[in-house]
Amino acid sequence: MSAPRTRVDRADDVGRAVADVVTALAAAAGLDRGRAYRLRLAADEITTNTMTHGYRGAGGPVEITCGVEPDAAWVRITDAAPAFDPRGHVTRVDGPPREGGYGIHLVLTGVDEFGYEWAGGRNHYTLRVRRVRVEEGGTDGGSADRDTPRPDGARGH
Amino acid sequence: MAFDVTTHAEDGVLTVRLTGELDSRAAHRFNEVIGAVPGGTVNRLVLHLAELVYLSSAGLRCLVFAQQKLGRGTEIVLVGTRPEVAETITMTGFDRSVTMQDPVDS
Repeated sequence: MSAPRTRVDRADDVGRAVADVVTALAAAAGLDRGRAYRLRLAADEITTNTMTHGYRGAGGPVEITCGVEPDAAWVRITDAAPAFDPRGHVTRVDGPPREGGYGIHLVLTGVDEFGYEWAGGRNHYTLRVRRVRVEEGGTDGGSADRDTPRPDGARGH
Repeated sequence: MAFDVTTHAEDGVLTVRLTGELDSRAAHRFNEVIGAVPGGTVNRLVLHLAELVYLSSAGLRCLVFAQQKLGRGTEIVLVGTRPEVAETITMTGFDRSVTMQDPVDS
């Protein structure tokens, strides 16, 4: 499954667009509820960050594509905002609650693999989650089957 | 799913029921409700989250804002949180700052 390219230019529209893309992708890939939720959350955080900080609230092009592979489903987000690699902005969450930094943490810990590339004057973010088949011992138990990935740069490309 | 927030205040307990998706588009509505609470009047904030189906980092910041606005002495209780929303809260460590209850405990 490879969905058509979705383009959004307004901050108010990007959250709904992400939700629609991931919902369709999750159905096509047979993602369990927990992975589908975390994939949507990660994509939402990336695009919202782009609209809020990258484009400073003025809006700008965000393109979303997705696909299914035998063992994974992926979402790729491309924008024309200034270069921003989230892996260099990891926030510690073991201290007192704070008002910023949670989004990047949710991106890097929520998906099974995160990739970032700056190419052609654009940010390219790739979010990938594994497809866990029930007949192979996986569950549909949302968070219950979760392997917690580490928010380190080694997982990206 | 559209976001909605309803409130009820009684005897120092502010009960807030959240429905739908609390994300960057909806955050201002929650913050308006909390921001309108007179200082020093709430010692317990009870958030009913059984119908909250999505919480992004913008929504988490709302919870942090509520904690800061109402003060450290105000207990914050989350009731009936769905597993995916609870996981988001746990992933960020905010569960250490609140009490999470099942609906039957409320």
